[in-house]
Amino acid sequence: MAYRIGEIGETLVLILMWSAIYDGQKVIGGLTLQEMITYILIGNFFNAIIRNFLSSVVARDIKDGRLSMFLVKPMSYFNYILSQEIGRISLATMMSVLSSALVIVFFIDTFIWSFDIAYFLVIIAMVILAFITELLLSYLIGLIAFWTDEVDGIYATIDRIKKFFSGGYFPINILPLMFVQISFALPFSYSFFVPAQLYLKKLDLSVGLKGLLIQIVWIAILYGIIKVVWNRGLKRYEGVGI
Amino acid sequence: MADIEVKNLSRTYEYYRKQQGLLGSLKSLFYREKLFAEAVKNISFSIESGELIGFLGPNGAGKTTTLKMLSGILHPTGGQVKVLGHIPTEREKKYQKQFALVMGHKNQLIQDLPAIETFIVNKEIYEISDKEFEENLNELVELFGIKDILDIQVRKLSLGQRMKCELVAALLHKPKVLFLDEPTIGLDVVAQKNIRDFIKKYNREKKTTIILTSHYMEDIKELCERVIIINLGKIIYDGKLDDLIKKYATHKLLKVVFNGNGVQQEEVERFGEIDEFNPYICTIKTKRNEAKNTAIALLSSNLPVDDIIIDEIDVDDVIRQIFNS
Repeated sequence: MAYRIGEIGETLVLILMWSAIYDGQKVIGGLTLQEMITYILIGNFFNAIIRNFLSSVVARDIKDGRLSMFLVKPMSYFNYILSQEIGRISLATMMSVLSSALVIVFFIDTFIWSFDIAYFLVIIAMVILAFITELLLSYLIGLIAFWTDEVDGIYATIDRIKKFFSGGYFPINILPLMFVQISFALPFSYSFFVPAQLYLKKLDLSVGLKGLLIQIVWIAILYGIIKVVWNRGLKRYEGVGI
Repeated sequence: MADIEVKNLSRTYEYYRKQQGLLGSLKSLFYREKLFAEAVKNISFSIESGELIGFLGPNGAGKTTTLKMLSGILHPTGGQVKVLGHIPTEREKKYQKQFALVMGHKNQLIQDLPAIETFIVNKEIYEISDKEFEENLNELVELFGIKDILDIQVRKLSLGQRMKCELVAALLHKPKVLFLDEPTIGLDVVAQKNIRDFIKKYNREKKTTIILTSHYMEDIKELCERVIIINLGKIIYDGKLDDLIKKYATHKLLKVVFNGNGVQQEEVERFGEIDEFNPYICTIKTKRNEAKNTAIALLSSNLPVDDIIIDEIDVDDVIRQIFNS
């Protein structure tokens, strides 16, 4: 609950901050203030759907040796934990989505409504792929527990980097072009910046389609890395606590 | 072919030493003393199908480490393991469906749900058919007499009841090989005996290969013909329990009961070393081969002997002797 209030609070602070920065200026980063507020609101709405807390679950299972019980059974830990997490977070996600939606309602006068079936479909596909990417990434971070007992610090660091490149703090197109290119090659921008810009129709549909492709490539890469890290980690695994 | 084959198996653990206190913590940021502990050193053994082996050793001897390597949780740092022709760490489904691991101090049952729910989960995991599941479950429930606790939340069960349910959960898929790591730990004598009787019966009827570790000698004496004793990561004995006793128990105990007014300690001292003494019952320790003669000498002496029992030295003492030497 406190976490959710923090989440809403962060969104509000961002909106206030941008309102102050705009003060008189018409357009920043190609967006008017109204568009900027919409960007923040819709972006956080997508982000609420996408985020998960898998890494601490995986890390705990490894640290406490609970993983052993899965290793001796004819079942896949990866499948188990993924299905469990999807079940578990569906409620938490729904709450997050609700609170984000509530903030949108609060700014209903400023919020720009836009609907275009082609854009809509691309955005939905993008959010689903971003959700999968995020699951895999969190799982991978959790696997670091094979090497170190504490993953929270690493997780927090990656979380910040992720948020920066995703455009969660500010639209990345106000940065030099190089940053934009980097973040388009990374998977993070597709969980905030790109779908939010697509919603505002500031990006072309082709950019969105290309993004979907990049996301699929990243999912394949992450899956491959997970396989390797899992196998190497198991060689180190000591199954402590049992 | 042997069910379980272990050749030159080793496992080393890495660990660090940290000095106490904040200063120690700061130091360890820059330099950590890396140390290696050899939990299992170059051990080899093989176990035939249907055998029930006792795996003995003090804490930290390497018993659990070995069991973990046999079940594929740990990768060995050296040597080979083969169970039922499979390499455990490859974690093939085919192998995993044929063995089970039960740990006395770790539970696989879902704590917040009744045991039957875990059984159903296991049915799905092990892909047991409805018919087989029902048959096995009924049989096991019958054997343990736990029909009335199946639908009670696991955390409300007593330790003994929980252990029974743990065993049922592990046996639903009819494993050919069973690893039991201290299944009787923390149980009272009655519950211990229940579990013991069950293991004995199960091994005899299903011809399941079982490796059992336990700190209770009663378990070992009752169940295992063959024992493997491990200490500091090395096997120090592998053979029949009887032979072990013969080899190490160089003495026998003569328990002599006197009637009438009893005896004085000085009167019996000449027959051998006194282990325990009171005027009516006295235990004399003699060499194995002299036991008979001592008994005859006692009977033909003028002491008021009522009864003589010639007994083996307790297995506990034998084991203690081995670990100390």
